[in-house]
Amino acid sequence: MKVIKDSLTGEKIYFKKHESGLSIYIMPRKGYTSNYAIFGTKYGSVDSEFIVPGEDSVTKVPDGIAHYLEHKMFDQPDGSNVFDKFSKFGGEANAFTSFNMTAYLFSSTSNFYENLEVLMDYVQSPYFTKESVEKEQGIIGQEIRMYDDNAPWRLFFNFLGLLYNNNPVKLDIAGTVESISKIDHELLYKCYNTFYNLSNMTIFITGDLDENKVLEVVEKNIKSNVPFSGEIKRIYPEEPKNVAGKYKKQTISVANPMFMMGWKDNDVGYSGEKLLKKIIEMEILVEMIFGKGSKLYTNLYKSGLINQTFSCEYSPQKDYGYTACEGESIDPEKVYEEITKHIDNLRGEGLLEEDFNRIKNVVWGDYIRSFNDIESYAHTYLTLSFLDINYLDYFRVYQSITFDDIKSRFTQQFNNDVSVLSVVSPQ
Amino acid sequence: MINTVKINDNISLSYIPMEKLKTTTIGMYIHRPLKREEASKNAILPHILKNGCKKCKNATEIAQYLDNLYGAKFSAGISKKGEDHMICFDFETISDKYAANGENLVSEVVDFMLAVVFDTLDEFDETTFEVERVNSINKIKSIINDKRIYANYRCQEEMCRGDAFEVPRLGYVEDMEKLTKEELHSYYEEVVRGSMIDIFICGDADVEALACQIKEKVRGIEFTDAKMPLSNIIKRNREVNKVTEKLNVTQGKLCIGFLTDTGFSDSDYFSMVVANSVFGDGAQSKLFNNVREKLSLAYYAGSMLDSYKGFLMVNAGIEFENFTKAYDEILVQLDEMKKGNITDEEFEASKGFLINSYTASYDDQSALISFHLGGRIRGINHSIEDCINSIKNVKKEDVVKVMQKVHLDTVYFLEGLGE
Repeated sequence: MKVIKDSLTGEKIYFKKHESGLSIYIMPRKGYTSNYAIFGTKYGSVDSEFIVPGEDSVTKVPDGIAHYLEHKMFDQPDGSNVFDKFSKFGGEANAFTSFNMTAYLFSSTSNFYENLEVLMDYVQSPYFTKESVEKEQGIIGQEIRMYDDNAPWRLFFNFLGLLYNNNPVKLDIAGTVESISKIDHELLYKCYNTFYNLSNMTIFITGDLDENKVLEVVEKNIKSNVPFSGEIKRIYPEEPKNVAGKYKKQTISVANPMFMMGWKDNDVGYSGEKLLKKIIEMEILVEMIFGKGSKLYTNLYKSGLINQTFSCEYSPQKDYGYTACEGESIDPEKVYEEITKHIDNLRGEGLLEEDFNRIKNVVWGDYIRSFNDIESYAHTYLTLSFLDINYLDYFRVYQSITFDDIKSRFTQQFNNDVSVLSVVSPQ
Repeated sequence: MINTVKINDNISLSYIPMEKLKTTTIGMYIHRPLKREEASKNAILPHILKNGCKKCKNATEIAQYLDNLYGAKFSAGISKKGEDHMICFDFETISDKYAANGENLVSEVVDFMLAVVFDTLDEFDETTFEVERVNSINKIKSIINDKRIYANYRCQEEMCRGDAFEVPRLGYVEDMEKLTKEELHSYYEEVVRGSMIDIFICGDADVEALACQIKEKVRGIEFTDAKMPLSNIIKRNREVNKVTEKLNVTQGKLCIGFLTDTGFSDSDYFSMVVANSVFGDGAQSKLFNNVREKLSLAYYAGSMLDSYKGFLMVNAGIEFENFTKAYDEILVQLDEMKKGNITDEEFEASKGFLINSYTASYDDQSALISFHLGGRIRGINHSIEDCINSIKNVKKEDVVKVMQKVHLDTVYFLEGLGE
């Protein structure tokens, strides 16, 4: 195993690329009572069109299938549910599907290795029948309906719909009642056999554990797998630089209007350390411009235009990215106007170096903090690893960032030509 | 292990060492009795105090001060545990050993916290007061935003009408509208002097030095008599209260309130905790496996227990036309438990689920503080180990027995407006 060390905290991660193709990360954490394992595939809701390695033709599948597949992985060939197996060993299991990954996980405070064997077994044992796949339509249908009434969710997808013309990130992760009705067991197997090939998967294990023992158990539980020699070719439609729309308002019974506004990132198409640098620069920038200590936040809050629900974040991926600010407001259009005006002013006046120095401290603290919760650490590590980023490079890259980097990143990212506003309002 | 020191008759400092994390979490909790006359003031007060004190005059100064402490976290708010209406101030900083220049971050955050609560401005700022009044009113109105929370809130409201617990956590719009900043300031004086106050520190700190720091700070303040608010469980038998409400929603929300006649001080309390878990708490539970997995009626279906007031709430999101099916199934599952139809697997898995959640709090500073704060409110000094042992000792017949006391009280259904 290769060992990677964090220069600031001394934390270590062990890594091995197994001959089956599986990437294995083990991070021992002394003194923790919980252990955690997350087994993920680089496969999410955006991957509806692809070419399987070794095939020539394009496969196109219904929207929402990655999420549907996640639900069906819990069924066992003997008719039981995998939750029962975890329950027997006291493991708390879950799974999720995002735009770019699907992950299966558990935490436990006892019987870690038994739980780990259950996890590795079921994720490598698909069992779909016509009946079991049909049965799930009801549950997922209710999940989709739940999101139909969920104002923050609608706000978010309307926002993405404004930013993107063609990128499938604008589509609901669970699909629609209509699209999921076309899913059957054969399609699920097709997707499983493509994206759950171990060469497309990573397992991250953390807790007060011995790395050699963990590796031994993981290797013993890897089922036979022929790794793909080539990449899975994912086909995404061409996305132009312009936004699809500037403004959308939806009526939902909420008390006060909610808004999500933001800027499309057009500096995309790369991963690895270059992307990590952009991520850290954006963390600093977002806090400098929109943080509680900023002039903009103070003015908006004092004028009653925003409240404590206001937050702002940059979301990175290889093929897309965006900055989003959201919150409740009595007048979302006015908030949008004030913020875009402020951005224009900043483009003229320039950023302040004292703000940069203050916020560099904040980002330092947030990095230290990120080690606390082993579950969210594992999520971060896994998500970034799918972008070819080693999260333990963070501190080194952070130290290299200068005020000049921040200034040019600002000019490149905050362009009001690609800003949008999504509003959910009571009438 | 937890170490509690009395600063004076009103204030206690509790320290829970936890050096494996890279942060230290700090909280101050002011206990007030839940009542209408005070509720709205309690709800707005933390939001006024978080906006300025003598040390940092306004919100921007506060934010920048915290930024310089490596982005120390600070939030203020209001919590309701039974009839304890708690004004809360929560902080978190990276531990001193991770500061780049050897700063004493924990001590600085404690100093700042004491300034926020005890060194407030002589007069509240007019703009801040008006902004926070609007924010507080909006928060009350915003309960409707999340229909799952709203349905649960409405069911509790229906169930607790007439009980002291009916006073809402966030207060009342009409009381907020009438409040003046002068009135709130004099209420503030009363609150800091005449309330029980808990300070918790969990992480890596020199508790003796911090105790001295706190004693020094509050020495000049004249405290008055204070006591912890007490809660009583709701006990009654009445005809079932059925409420249906219509809103523009696409999914129905069913919420069923049961009374358990069991509170945290009862000897069968832990049997009730296990019973709730078998019934609807966790993916091993009867509700999850029958309402969701077997009948595919819901994406979520589960139950939660309120041990301060002795009620149990079931929540499920369903199609409107499935109301009767889901309602019947939930009651069937309750009946199964009363009849003793609990498998060994269900029983052991539910205990395992609970033990796992208790044990997991050893890795979470906020969870540990919250656990021990709960002990202070209840006046019961349990350790996590004690709770785990009590769970382990529960037998299946105890669960069946305690379930006999559970009876239906309120049924709430949120449905759509129709075509």
